[in-house]
Amino acid sequence: MSYDAAFARLPVNACFDLKGAESALVEWIGAEMLPGFPADANRCRKANGVSLDHVGPRHWLLQADIDREDELNGALRPHEAPAEVSIVRISDTMATFRITGTDAAHMLAIGCPLDLHEAAFPEDAVSFTEFFGQKALVRRCVGGFEVSVEQSFGDMTEDYLTRALR
Amino acid sequence: MQVRRLPTGGRIDRSQSLAFRFNGKEYQGFSGDTLASALLANNVRLTARSFKYHRPRGIVGSGPEEPATLVELEGRRASANQAATTVRLEEGMAARSVNCWPSPGLDMGAVNQLFAGLIPAGFYYKTFKWPGWHLYEPAIRKAAGLAGAPVAPPLDGHFEAVHAHADVLIVGAGPAGLMAALVAGRTGCRVFLADERTEAGGSLLDRRLEIAGKPALEWVAESVAELKSMPNVTHLLQDASVWAYREHNLLMVNERSPANSNVLERNWRIRAGQVILATGAIERGLVFPDNDRPGVMLASAAQAYVNRFAVKPGERAVVFANNDSAYAVAADLHASGIDIAAIVDSRDAVPEDARDLAGEIPIKSGSVVIGIRGKRAVKGATVAERDGRGAEKVDCDLLLHSGGWNPTAHLFSQSRGSLRYDDTLATFVPDKAAQACVSVGGAVGEFSPASALRTGAEAAASATGSEMPDLPAVTEGHYSIAPLWRVDARGAKGKAFLDIQNDVTVDDVHLALREGYDNVEHVKRYTTGGMGFDQGKTGNINIIGTIALQKGVPIQDVGTTTFRPPYTPVSFGAIGGIREESVVLPYRHTPITRWNLDRGAFMYEAGARWRRPGYFPRDDETFQEAVNRECRAVREDVGVYDGSPLGKFELKGGDVGRFLDHIYTNLMSTLKPGQCRYGLMLTEDGLILDDGVAMRLGKHRWMVSTSTAHADTVHGHMEELLQTQFPEWNVYVTPVTSQWNNATVCGPKAREVMAALGSDIDLSHKGLPFMSFADGQVAGLPARVVRVSFTGELSFEINVAPRHMRDLWERTMEAGEPFGIEPVGSEASHVLRVEKGFLSLGHEVDGTVDAHDLGMSWIMSKKKRDFVGKRSVELRRRGNEIRRELVGLLPANPNEQIPEGAPLTPGGERRPTEGLVTACVWSVVLDRWVALALLENGKSRHGETVHVRLKNATIAADVMEPVFHDPDGLRMRS
Repeated sequence: MSYDAAFARLPVNACFDLKGAESALVEWIGAEMLPGFPADANRCRKANGVSLDHVGPRHWLLQADIDREDELNGALRPHEAPAEVSIVRISDTMATFRITGTDAAHMLAIGCPLDLHEAAFPEDAVSFTEFFGQKALVRRCVGGFEVSVEQSFGDMTEDYLTRALR
Repeated sequence: MQVRRLPTGGRIDRSQSLAFRFNGKEYQGFSGDTLASALLANNVRLTARSFKYHRPRGIVGSGPEEPATLVELEGRRASANQAATTVRLEEGMAARSVNCWPSPGLDMGAVNQLFAGLIPAGFYYKTFKWPGWHLYEPAIRKAAGLAGAPVAPPLDGHFEAVHAHADVLIVGAGPAGLMAALVAGRTGCRVFLADERTEAGGSLLDRRLEIAGKPALEWVAESVAELKSMPNVTHLLQDASVWAYREHNLLMVNERSPANSNVLERNWRIRAGQVILATGAIERGLVFPDNDRPGVMLASAAQAYVNRFAVKPGERAVVFANNDSAYAVAADLHASGIDIAAIVDSRDAVPEDARDLAGEIPIKSGSVVIGIRGKRAVKGATVAERDGRGAEKVDCDLLLHSGGWNPTAHLFSQSRGSLRYDDTLATFVPDKAAQACVSVGGAVGEFSPASALRTGAEAAASATGSEMPDLPAVTEGHYSIAPLWRVDARGAKGKAFLDIQNDVTVDDVHLALREGYDNVEHVKRYTTGGMGFDQGKTGNINIIGTIALQKGVPIQDVGTTTFRPPYTPVSFGAIGGIREESVVLPYRHTPITRWNLDRGAFMYEAGARWRRPGYFPRDDETFQEAVNRECRAVREDVGVYDGSPLGKFELKGGDVGRFLDHIYTNLMSTLKPGQCRYGLMLTEDGLILDDGVAMRLGKHRWMVSTSTAHADTVHGHMEELLQTQFPEWNVYVTPVTSQWNNATVCGPKAREVMAALGSDIDLSHKGLPFMSFADGQVAGLPARVVRVSFTGELSFEINVAPRHMRDLWERTMEAGEPFGIEPVGSEASHVLRVEKGFLSLGHEVDGTVDAHDLGMSWIMSKKKRDFVGKRSVELRRRGNEIRRELVGLLPANPNEQIPEGAPLTPGGERRPTEGLVTACVWSVVLDRWVALALLENGKSRHGETVHVRLKNATIAADVMEPVFHDPDGLRMRS
């Protein structure tokens, strides 16, 4: 008997690293581009296919499908942004895995020390943590979790997940 | 034939017969048996030999306290260090005894018994000193140990390690643990319960008790059913030992029978808000002559074998005790048909409750056992009054003893909680907790079932802030004890063991005390008592009591030793989990890794866990031939290497310029957008931390590159400065190592290859001069081209997003083919940088040198008032001490290679070193071996001949400038 879980490596997302004061970011980007800032730490807000994840003090990740990367880049204008905000395109920095199935939480628990119980990690939670010893971003998805690791560790993570699923 | 199996009763499944082998012989047991109970059922009495003296040993306990019968499992579940009492019997299981050869019945090591008087505790510390310990060490190491480790991975299945969290973690599913779980579970908080036995119930499994007016095991079954119905009780693990209690309520659990049959064992790492330790208590033995003979057993163990496993451990027993609990054992055994010859009680007065339990069984109060008859099996005991008078022999095949009960305080102690001595219980009990944990039931000295239920409920109610529930009715038992630390009667002869697992006797402890080891920790180390995986489960308190008696001090003044994890043996595999084989170490790939592998590249780790190609051998090429070919391509035509692993960070903010000026030794803030500059970073003590290139992307945007290996270190360095020293500075750091991959085209024909690739960037010398960069398209891909060189040749570093890297690489190989392009590995890169005298961290930068030593004084800015490490360098140099400085070396024999790291000594003589060789490579431009070295006052010694001192030879070499190719850098600037 093996686990009831499966994983898939997802294509890259458009992803921008945003740092700075909320007000400065809104002033530069424009509120209409953003789904609104999450009210709590380590939560995400989504709107119009864009999600904004709080991942640290004055630090967010803005994500969308990869085919919207140029559109977002044009709107965010990272190279022209004022000194008070930092906007960096990091779409390629992470390899993302979707892990689903009734044993998905157990799969996560093999690699991740974070408390992912729904009481501690609700539907809109997002957090950097560790996955198989490497820095990773974890969030919930339908039927399981999505885990993003630094792109160069993607093959290793796939190797680990294959082993964990036995 | 299970001749000792009772016809009815027990928690075994008689419909499931299991065949197993022990020491090569076939036996039968039942599902629900342990290996120990199955051996006893088959009347196997001699099951082991002792560690040091190779004395015959049998089964002593019934759980993790077993000190004697340790086995090595063979076959699919091959493992060592297993107590037979904790091994769940499985069909086809094979096991063998340890500490004996060829068998416990005929053990060649038993010859040690002839010399027992010559090998007391610590004998080898004193004996094996001449001519030297190392002469004896191999043989002693071979003799030591409790079994061999498996020589191969498991044939099937794998181990797993997993994280978990709980509001309340309860250790133990006995009456206290179950009650605590029920109370906590009913509040809705997340409960994790782990129990070392194969089914819940704890000590209730071994005894005949009633709870709430019905058999206790019915209450257990109802409790378990209720817990299973609660979704917030996330885990109810059986056959799972909590083996370590770490800081911040992190506990380790070894689950030996996971539901997933592919998983051999699982190790849980549980972070709990509150821990309730319901670990019960362990019965300790009494210390009397030959108390280790097969057939001498803990009284509670015999009770467990009769009640839980329906096994009679003997036909006629003597029970020797100093407390009340053994009377219930005698009653249970008597009811099961075992003839109890006598209860020998060292106390003068036996409480009436106890006498009532004994019924018709003769009681010899104020008496002790002073000897055992029978070496391979008990045949009788000699019983006498406490002073030895009135000795009489009693025939028996079973000697049961009980020296009282010790709370299982191992985990509490591991959590750094303190223990105190309880006079009434004659044992150490948990005192002050150091973490959010509480001990309940037997684990805190509440030995009766009623108090176990009560303390379990109280702890859970307190942890969850809930009300105390009504407790089920249970008869309150009576327990009293008069400590007896050793039998010291006239006529008592023979070895009296305190620690059976480590063969430590009363005489050993006395010897340690006589020799000045009078602290309990010193006694432990001198005698090995309480060491190993026994961790003092049965012997600890007796050793402490023996020390107290001998020194004439109160036992609390002796104190306890430190209990250490693991509480019970744990497989290394379970600790490691799935981290084995290809993932035993982390690894990182670039998008070109597959391409490299497909072309037969020799791959290895090259810093920060990146797997990089060392070289690309062709056909029958040797290593050197392959490296030479790649080097020649770069020097004469063109090569390309994957520079993706270099660390990269984007810095943004109004203060980035001055921040870079602070962390680099040279000035960066003066760079114009589109320019880049090589720089050095120092540590606060003025040594080189890293080197790299800073690029100015815009007014407030910069990118810095670092060495591959030091990317994380530099990131930490920058963040530490920004968060501690300059929190008000406007600087944001974003790692982009994996946002930018690069293929670096280098060599005299690099520009032709770039032209063939096609680009909208002006790549001419004027359009994109050395140390500049530009964004645009290369081969139709969005790219940033940087004019830096780590090979000394004309180079174009083409940076693209990883999603484009494979395309870029293949197009580059295609475009470069007419020009003879070669992929270049790390080995060739090493040669090329040595030829140029470029520094390498870990080679020339060895943690002792500064920039001046490396001939890079030009990079130490004199314009800047301060930068990290500046003051340290200046202070050090004020001392005018001799420095080791970077030089080039040409071996006198051009075909003679110098080993990297080899020392330089004056004249090659056996004298203090004056330097070392940092690198030595075959130079394709000079067609000979060349080397770099750090040499005392090296810069002023050009032209001298120095000597490399090897073990059996010296190598002469001429000192020169540390650059062997294009000293003016014209090629890389071309």
